[in-house]
Amino acid sequence: MSLVLVQILNGLQYGLLLFLAASGLTLVFGILGVINLAHGSFYMLGAYLAVTLTAQFGDIFVALAVGIPLAFVFGAAIEWLFIRHLYKRDHLQQVLLTFALILVFKEVQQTLWGNHPLSIPTPSYLSSSISLTPDLGYPVYRFALMGICVALALAMMFVIQRTRVGRLIRAAESNPEMVEALGYDSRILYRMVFAAGVALAAAAGILAAPIESAYPGIGDRVLIISFVIVVIGGIGSIRGAFLGALLIGLADAFGKVFVPEFSSVLIYAVMALILVVRPSGLFGRA
Amino acid sequence: MLKTPSTRALLLLACLALLFVALPFFVGPYGIKFATRLIILSIFVVSLDFALGLAGLISFGHAAFFGVGAYAVYFVSSDEGAANVFVALGAGVGVAAVCALVIGAFACLTRGFYFIMVTLAAGQMMFSLFHDTDIAKGADGAYINIKPDLTILGHTLIDFDDRRVFFYVCLALLVFTVVALYMLARTPFGRVVQGLKSNETRLSALGFDAYRFKLAAFVVSGAFAGLAGALFACIDGFVTPDLFSWHQSGLAIMMVVLGGAGTLFGPILGALFYVSLEETLKTASLVGDFVSSHWLLGTGAVLVIAVLLSPDGLAGFLRNAARPAKKALLQPLGDAPAEPRRASILATKDLAKTFGGLRAVDGVTISFEPDLVHAIIGPNGAGKTTFTNLLSGALKPSAGEVTVDGVNVAGAPAYKIARRGVGRSFQRTNIFATFTVEENCRLAAQARHPSVVRLTERLSGSEQAKVAHALTVVGLADKADTIAGAMSNGEQRQLEIAMLIASGGSILILDEPLAGMGPEETRRVIDLLRDLKKNHTIVLIEHDMDAVFAVADTLTVLALGRLIAHGTPDEVRRNEEVITAYLGGHAPEIETEGAKS
Repeated sequence: MSLVLVQILNGLQYGLLLFLAASGLTLVFGILGVINLAHGSFYMLGAYLAVTLTAQFGDIFVALAVGIPLAFVFGAAIEWLFIRHLYKRDHLQQVLLTFALILVFKEVQQTLWGNHPLSIPTPSYLSSSISLTPDLGYPVYRFALMGICVALALAMMFVIQRTRVGRLIRAAESNPEMVEALGYDSRILYRMVFAAGVALAAAAGILAAPIESAYPGIGDRVLIISFVIVVIGGIGSIRGAFLGALLIGLADAFGKVFVPEFSSVLIYAVMALILVVRPSGLFGRA
Repeated sequence: MLKTPSTRALLLLACLALLFVALPFFVGPYGIKFATRLIILSIFVVSLDFALGLAGLISFGHAAFFGVGAYAVYFVSSDEGAANVFVALGAGVGVAAVCALVIGAFACLTRGFYFIMVTLAAGQMMFSLFHDTDIAKGADGAYINIKPDLTILGHTLIDFDDRRVFFYVCLALLVFTVVALYMLARTPFGRVVQGLKSNETRLSALGFDAYRFKLAAFVVSGAFAGLAGALFACIDGFVTPDLFSWHQSGLAIMMVVLGGAGTLFGPILGALFYVSLEETLKTASLVGDFVSSHWLLGTGAVLVIAVLLSPDGLAGFLRNAARPAKKALLQPLGDAPAEPRRASILATKDLAKTFGGLRAVDGVTISFEPDLVHAIIGPNGAGKTTFTNLLSGALKPSAGEVTVDGVNVAGAPAYKIARRGVGRSFQRTNIFATFTVEENCRLAAQARHPSVVRLTERLSGSEQAKVAHALTVVGLADKADTIAGAMSNGEQRQLEIAMLIASGGSILILDEPLAGMGPEETRRVIDLLRDLKKNHTIVLIEHDMDAVFAVADTLTVLALGRLIAHGTPDEVRRNEEVITAYLGGHAPEIETEGAKS
């Protein structure tokens, strides 16, 4: 019983992290129409930013507060340099260019941080555990992490649903030409959306760093799982990404315990099943 | 569609082939091994190009088929003796084909972004399967101790352990792959496969089951990728889960696009370019220590620049300059080749379609009798286009029946309705823009035998006549060799009608065929409709009221999704309800506004 409880918590925590990463991806694809394979690299960037910033400031939450704006600026720069040339191109070229970016980021990461896994300390005041049952504790940091993820998710929902810029974002997703025809500069809007996607992925990477540590290739796994989530939820759907992320988080947590050898396969099986029933995802447009 | 490579390209390929044939006489064992690897890589990327460049299926999990091809060789090899070459390669091809069939069965349900992601996920799934479990020694990889050979009556004819022999086998198989896929692309099957990339909706409306063709193309592509994988396993006799890695798939796509997707030879140039680039950047004596220790950075940077600067790939430089279209290829023919009528009466009963709360089509019951032109008119938003989409199967009805000669086809997919002899044109011109005019019609004519397994033009004598006839009657015979996408909008609409004629449909649904046509073209199409109705049932949606009254035998008026009048043009003209609801008291000749309905 306690095993099930722990796995539910692990699944939720992993799912919430994945949601941060996947929501950026789904926003970028839904609004910019760009398949961004380099999204995993931004998660990796977050993890390594956590290494450097925690070493500098001594606390993961300060690292988060500094890292998110840094990632946002970095994302805006990447959009300006590369991504904006892809809006009118077909999927194939987007796949290629962002794939080439992965190679570049990978090399930069190895040059700056090397090949060895680097661990990031959990803040001392959060290193204890909470007793869930008399013989079962669960790390406080993981609860804090879930809380921050939920807060970020709510903030994003609020921005998208309730603010002027959110209304523009939703309008641009539905009909970009019209938004432009109404006199908005979609270039700025697109740059902001892409940068926000990068910041979200990096935030997930920073938050996960004390648990997963930072290592080369950390982004690849997250990238592919994020794509699975976007496909399950339906492209462009934040709601879908949320459900998909929790579903995958739980499937992964339970798969690791009950069918350890097939836990990764299980995730893809879930996706295949959902696509057979709904070929454009849970909340995708047909 | 796939063109014959230009003379320059053929020359370049011939030089490359000669160079490779002579190579083993100049380079040492390491050089041969390197060249062998390059050749096998080429087979892999050419196989990918068939799916990606020709069929438009962006498979991001192609390494899965490469990987299972390699592992198949491991499974059929034993430690006691060498496996037969044919068994080993056959196993690689067979297992990869089965794998492609299973993965494709899911992936081909989806399109665009979803297709890319599903194939990516499928590839990762295969990776996990071989990486996380103990199959074939898991993550460590496994050795094939004795490589396959071909021994007949005690004589060893081919031994994969001999580097030079293996090199020539691989080279021969590369040539075989390119030639086989090239020839396949030129068959009727290949024509439909290329139509998939160009315009899938149109293909379904002609009566082809797009899903099956996608799946077939995917399996062919996967099978050749399996061949490449099987050969790859024989280079070092070592297989590892890394063969499945999505980086492999990504690099393969990279090479295809760098070289030129959809040319079948371009990807070889792409592979050559990429491998040379990587080797050069890794060699410290050529580029210095700094670059060689960060070769990945250089590779990535070159690729970024290549994508931004050259969308057509290397093969783009070898293309022939656009030739002026050849004229009058086709013999003008007088009468249509005689053909039995396939369908006569199209009818609906209580047909309805709702979108959310909107009843776009609301209980329409009507019967379209043969040998007449039936026009449907109505103000914008009357539900005319929704109605035609229900008739042709592009939309599924919410309720009611659509019958073709009494058989209910409501809810059937578009291609099944098309196969009953119902052809349609679209409100927005819908042709295969990258095909020539003649190829468009060939594809349409071929729809009468829409089987996936059609590799010869054996049935095509009458099809050729059909094509010539169709192009002649719409007045495009002298444009047979023009690329369809390069013609004016009016000409493209004429082509769409020619395709309907060539496809041999007996019930034709035309959605605003005259939009964008000049007076001369309009007159021609009206004459054509009068001529066609002798042995067709024609349903016409048109805003040009002069044309409607000139050609229609019956007139049906839709308003707010409901049928408010049906009869001869004269009856409808006098119908009070129509005058108040639609014509607003004006004379019927006054044109209705707008084009969108």
